Amino acid sequence: MLDVGRHPNIELMAYSEVEQVEGSAGCFKVRVRRKARYVDEAKCTGCGACREKCPTDVLDMYNEGHSTRKAIYSWFAQGIPSTHTIDPDHCRVLQGKKCGVCQKRCEAGAIDFEQKDKIVELDIGAIIVATGYTVFDPGKIPEYRYKDLPNVVTAVEFERFLSASGPTHGHIDRPSDILARREIAELEKEESRLQKTLARYEEKAGASSQSVFEAFAAETAPPEQQQWMEKYREYLPLTEKLAALRSKAEGFTTAKRLAFIQCVGSRDLRFYPFCSGFCCMHSIKEAIIAHEHENATTSVIFGMDIRAVGKGFDEYKVRGGNKSNITYRRSRVAEIVNGPNNNPVLVYEDTQLQKVVREDFDLVILATACAPNEGMKEMAAILGIELNRFGFFKTRPENPLDTTREGIFVCGCAHSPMDIPESVAQASSAASRAVQTVTVTPAKLLKIS
Amino acid sequence: MNRDMLVIGGGIAGIQSSLDLAEMGFKVYLVERLPSIGGKMAQLDKTFPTNDCAI
Amino acid sequence: MKQNKTGENTEGLRVGVFICDCGSNIAGHLDCAEVTKYAADLPGVVFTKENLYTCSEAGISEIQNAIRENNLNRVVVASCSPRTHHPLFASSCAQAGMNPYLFEMVNIRDQCSWVHMGQRDIATAKAKDLVRMGVAKSTALEPQKDIESSVIRKILVIGGGIAGLSAAEALAGMGLEVLLVEKEERCGGLMLGLNVLETGKSAAGQVSDLAATVAATSGVTVHTASRVIEISGYIGNFRVVIETPAGKVEDTVGCIVVACGAVPLVEEGLFGYNGKDVITQMELEQRLASGSFKAARVVMIQCAGARNATREYCSRICCATAVKNAMIIKRKYPLAEVHVLYRDMQMYGDEKEQMLWDARGMGIKFHVFDQKKPPRVGDGKVTFQHAVLGETKEFTVDLTVLSTPLVARPESSQVAALMRVPCDKNGFFLEAHAKLRPLDFAADGIFVCGSARYPVTSVEARTQGLGVASRIGAILFKEKLVKSGIVAEIDQETCVGCMGCLNVCPYEAIIFNRETGVCEVKEILCKGCGNCASTCPSHSAVLRGYKPEQLLAQIRAI
Repeated sequence: MLDVGRHPNIELMAYSEVEQVEGSAGCFKVRVRRKARYVDEAKCTGCGACREKCPTDVLDMYNEGHSTRKAIYSWFAQGIPSTHTIDPDHCRVLQGKKCGVCQKRCEAGAIDFEQKDKIVELDIGAIIVATGYTVFDPGKIPEYRYKDLPNVVTAVEFERFLSASGPTHGHIDRPSDILARREIAELEKEESRLQKTLARYEEKAGASSQSVFEAFAAETAPPEQQQWMEKYREYLPLTEKLAALRSKAEGFTTAKRLAFIQCVGSRDLRFYPFCSGFCCMHSIKEAIIAHEHENATTSVIFGMDIRAVGKGFDEYKVRGGNKSNITYRRSRVAEIVNGPNNNPVLVYEDTQLQKVVREDFDLVILATACAPNEGMKEMAAILGIELNRFGFFKTRPENPLDTTREGIFVCGCAHSPMDIPESVAQASSAASRAVQTVTVTPAKLLKIS
Repeated sequence: MNRDMLVIGGGIAGIQSSLDLAEMGFKVYLVERLPSIGGKMAQLDKTFPTNDCAI
Repeated sequence: MKQNKTGENTEGLRVGVFICDCGSNIAGHLDCAEVTKYAADLPGVVFTKENLYTCSEAGISEIQNAIRENNLNRVVVASCSPRTHHPLFASSCAQAGMNPYLFEMVNIRDQCSWVHMGQRDIATAKAKDLVRMGVAKSTALEPQKDIESSVIRKILVIGGGIAGLSAAEALAGMGLEVLLVEKEERCGGLMLGLNVLETGKSAAGQVSDLAATVAATSGVTVHTASRVIEISGYIGNFRVVIETPAGKVEDTVGCIVVACGAVPLVEEGLFGYNGKDVITQMELEQRLASGSFKAARVVMIQCAGARNATREYCSRICCATAVKNAMIIKRKYPLAEVHVLYRDMQMYGDEKEQMLWDARGMGIKFHVFDQKKPPRVGDGKVTFQHAVLGETKEFTVDLTVLSTPLVARPESSQVAALMRVPCDKNGFFLEAHAKLRPLDFAADGIFVCGSARYPVTSVEARTQGLGVASRIGAILFKEKLVKSGIVAEIDQETCVGCMGCLNVCPYEAIIFNRETGVCEVKEILCKGCGNCASTCPSHSAVLRGYKPEQLLAQIRAI
């Protein structure tokens, strides 16, 4: 990644979109919109000082919404370019309010609230489309109750939980527990605010809130003490609620019994008939890493087939079973229901016993489909190329990188669902096709003449 | 004939294409929708089967 | 310039030190002004400057002006991580006329200000120590030259199957010369023996057309019925000897592609294999192609001889092959009974999974069995326990087809030995990095594609073949190879020829010279890892830029 930012032959246009492609192979005219970052790329050094004092918190989608970032942000810590970006939907200044703290903090003078989108015209010989995929939204499957049950997450969310740079610093805290802790933190803030208020009254009156409260029934308190007592009546249930929550939180542990559900949205005629190729391996990897983090972790992977097709993959799968407490269960989970202690309960059929089984887990991870990007149709229209029946860019088996328009090639998950080594190999192949497009060989000269 | 290349998408596939083209001596414009390149892979903690760091 | 081993003799040395504030990342946690003042008094230092951001355009031009105006012959930047910024600073120094190998970087951010936040005094003192050490090391540095080597714009492709042919086609299409060596009489590889592809097109036809196109392309020389028998040299300049029916041919090439494929396993006795009524998928393909297929009741057994204790891997392509052939049978003989016994149907991706849906729709039956209770074949019957239902099932069959894995060719170990590249325990060639460099070998200038690496479909083999062309273009499109001068050197006077370094070098960059009896470094292959230097018992092997006296100068300054 770093090499891209540094390579003298690569001009990186991040935060930009292709708007129009005209012409033909060897002489395309491409229009690119460089969206305003409101930060001068030439001046910003990526130091991050601007971020520190920004007052606006925004959900961080890099962490799948499990943490917050500021309205001025870098996509992730090691991002290339490291240039920061102001989110115009949330920045106070760009929303017409007063602020500009970042501008004052930036010693490089890079903040520019007046920046406008720029249109760039490029003359291009060949185009490689590597626009990737979208993670399927499991909310579309009602029986899995994603977003409804807190402890049901997607594989990418779980990936962020596993990451040391993620929202839980690599501890597999359960989202329900995170929410409870967040609630405790908020209540504590409220508690300390009320305590301060009460302390002021107490100092003034020279008596404790409790003694005044006990001395008068609420209605009979003298008018000058009415407000005080109102605050105290707010305070009492708050402390009770807090105590209850705190004692509950003492029992919180990290998630140790994990269930992975495969083919969420894929191999499912309601959504995508295809197999997403990499999710079985992804789940196995996550189960192995979770076990590395915490030896007591056990995982059950529910799937139809476990597709470990790649060099060393089946061996990895077997190793996971033997050494990382992974059980592979051939079953399709019918539904997830809520159990005690926010434990998701899986309902599925044990086909050998021919019985419906209910089994509860600490956390359920949904291996979501590799879905075509939402903007695929628009992108295809801009590029003048066709999509296949699955919604990815169309190619032919004889020339697996060539789209339906000469000089435009596709690789990675925009081509079809595939794993990283395949994407890398395809990327090189697309590059070689692109070079062949602009290379004049004797055979081509003959064709022209 | 133009020899400059356009790569759309800065995930692992786009990055690899860009690097290969750039190393072959071609000028590459790499267009990414998000503020930084890296794509889905940058969100991964580790990768199978070697459990290497993704970034 | 005078040698300077201890850092005390500073005659002729003109060191410039630049201290970076990194906005507030460094200056917020330690006193950069004080560190700058301190650096000015260090031995050899003639110029110091504190920058808000040394890496900004303004910072870079300050370094360059200082080099020109003050005749600096060493530059030390104390800032962030060398991993991200060393190349920028070193090349900027070179632009201003200083040898870039005389640049030294000190990390006072990640290793100082960030780890000692809120302890300003301690952080400032540590930054001074680090700067003093960096300056001491810089004074001991020596100028180096980049290492350059010529390249021959010709490629040897070993193997004329779909992968090798695709590589040759792409390389020629990129204007490079290709030498293709195929051991059989005809190019085409495994595909010549297949019936039709998933698309319904003739496999042999497609690969033969490609072979003809490649053979007719100018710049491509094809040697069939030939073998590579000798390879020597290194990236950019390999010497190869090929044994052809017309005698030995010698040539030089810049890069090598290994595309020698794999073969389907044929094992007498495996599930009663006899080549008659128990056959492999490959044999089924041939019967279908020749029209000699005759059976009304067919059972296919997946993972025959694979995913077990002796052959742990999944061969990737056999499930799709079985489904394809099952569909061909069913399409031609709709009343035929076709059962596929499997452990996991590996129909990954979009088109293959669609085939599985379609196959089920055509009435092909799929039954899952457990590895621990494999099917039994004999007396015209196949018996197995259904892993989902738990029932024992029995089918009367006319033909049992075994989906056996692709296995490494027996001769691939010889091919590997020619280039000293590694194979994995299954005999497939081992790439440089399973994730990020699937087509490269760790050895420079040698690449792998197709089933020689790991079983792949014809589409994947073609993709990989095209892919290696890019990897090679990245090397051979350059005028010459240029690499960092930070490489190992071996003192020919003191080396005793124990070959300790040779054994620890991961890059085959050290050779033993039989005439002189000592070891030598092939600079172009050396990556500067320093393994040899740390192993050498006589301290004859050293790494440039990290020689003992250079590191000691740094350590003594603590």
